[in-house]
Amino acid sequence: MIKAHGLTKRYGDRTVVQDLEFTVRPGTVTGFLGPNGAGKSTTMRMLLGLDAPTRGNSTVNGRSYATHPAPLTQVGALLEARSVHPGRSALNHLMALAHTHGIPRRRVEEVIDLAGLTDAAHRRVKGFSLGMGQRLGVAAALLGDPATVILDEPVNGLDPEGVLWIRTLLTSLAAEGRTVLVSSHLMSEMALTADHLIVIGRGRLLADTTVDELIRSAGGASVKVVTPQPDELAARLKDPGVTITEAPAHELRIRGVDAAHIGGVAAAHAITLHELTPQTVSLEQAFMDLTQESVDHRPQQRTPATPTPSPLTGAAA
Amino acid sequence: MTTPHPTLRPPSPITPASPPSPPSPSSQYRITAPRILRSEWHKLHSLRSTWITVVSAVVMVLGVGLIMGGTYTSGGGDSDVDTIVLTLYGSMLGQLCLIVLGILMTAGEYATGMIRSSLTAVPTRLPVLWAKAAVFAATVFTVMFATALITFAAAQAFLHDTDQAASFTDPGILRALAGNAGALTLLGLIALGLGALLRSVPGAIGAFIGGVMILPEILGMLPYDAVERAIMYFPTQAAGALGSATPIPGTVSPGPALLALFLWAGTTLAAAALALNRRDV
Repeated sequence: MIKAHGLTKRYGDRTVVQDLEFTVRPGTVTGFLGPNGAGKSTTMRMLLGLDAPTRGNSTVNGRSYATHPAPLTQVGALLEARSVHPGRSALNHLMALAHTHGIPRRRVEEVIDLAGLTDAAHRRVKGFSLGMGQRLGVAAALLGDPATVILDEPVNGLDPEGVLWIRTLLTSLAAEGRTVLVSSHLMSEMALTADHLIVIGRGRLLADTTVDELIRSAGGASVKVVTPQPDELAARLKDPGVTITEAPAHELRIRGVDAAHIGGVAAAHAITLHELTPQTVSLEQAFMDLTQESVDHRPQQRTPATPTPSPLTGAAA
Repeated sequence: MTTPHPTLRPPSPITPASPPSPPSPSSQYRITAPRILRSEWHKLHSLRSTWITVVSAVVMVLGVGLIMGGTYTSGGGDSDVDTIVLTLYGSMLGQLCLIVLGILMTAGEYATGMIRSSLTAVPTRLPVLWAKAAVFAATVFTVMFATALITFAAAQAFLHDTDQAASFTDPGILRALAGNAGALTLLGLIALGLGALLRSVPGAIGAFIGGVMILPEILGMLPYDAVERAIMYFPTQAAGALGSATPIPGTVSPGPALLALFLWAGTTLAAAALALNRRDV
């Protein structure tokens, strides 16, 4: 369990994180989402006591990280960039960390196997690929068999196999009852792994919600209908709970009823349909709508916000 | 960078060994001071740069000592030089290697990002700095004292029939040999502290050479007695006094010299500790 209370970080007069208030619960994967520069890494460093908050505080399993007698057993962290001396072998790096807590070599070898680094354990980190570096970071995070895992952009630089490995790992860590907080700037990645989402932009909390709810709040589902008799169909569907917008080329956008109902009504009244397509707002779009106010650097032209069918939502549910 | 990567094992699922329901952290895992020392010792000996700097320092001291001994002639220009100063003349060069080692131990962690791992494992921070200083001091003193003893014995093989003949039991000899190692250790600790304070390897090396080695020489040119007396307590001058069996004119005696060096190293480490506690990583 991670709790942040009014977490604020200022560098001079630049506020990087402002009044963040959230709780990360055990047993689920919580995605920490925000555009680049939103303050995700700074927040994670504050949770680990590496950066001191200007105001506010955070606790991990009931107390601040630094006051735990065995912090590696409470929180395992994979931080952004490399936090490893390139001249040391993977084994020696992990042994140096393990010694501080009296963690035996047996456990070190266990996490090396788990991370798939067995063959590279004795090689200096200098020669590691980006993906192998990430695997070493994950091995270090799991060293103390921690109740809480914090991973900053873990899929960065991983090949498809590695990405899949991270997804499986996150899900199984959560299934074991651990608290899992994982940051990303990729909504699509979070949609596949996270149950809960904490979205920040420019250091402020934008949403603390579930994946499903985020989609719903972003406009929800609609049905696209193309018919040569739009007026007739619209009249048949008229209801206070239904909104219908007419588009050119005999196209209707209908919210409030599902495709099966529309199809049934059309059949009952012998209305010809050329197209009947359920539409969902993509998570990516929902995320962009949510954060567009807070993106630091925006391209001059934005693509119009048209809802597109999303294959991701099914997987997320 | 196209080093061939060994084929990665197909990643196994999460440890089957770990408990399925909310994991209870193993209670015997806990941070203790001896464990932090052991961690720092592991960090020190698992880096190639440690071996390079320490072996270089030993070779410099021993090599120069043998050359000094082998080429010495009685009544030559060096007759008035203290025996230990003459024998351990290579310490000047060895000192540079050990300074680099001290700086790499602290500033090197910032340069590589390792410091984030170190301070996540030990978030109370200060024990990491104390452990680094202790491990550095124990290692450097042991190695350099042994080197001084061996160099002295080896050099005396050449010097025994000259006016520089001396034995371990002669007054001041053992004290000066230990003093030499102690001075190298304390100078190295100043460098280690500077590395932690400045967080940059070239920055700390520059600060040490400029501030500790060159500055006293420049100040010494000032025509004030007070400045001249103060300079006797500066690190390199005090170190010189410690490593001599007979008093060198213009330096303080070994006791105050040792105290001064301790204060320099202590002050630098205290400043580093203050910065470590206050600054973000």
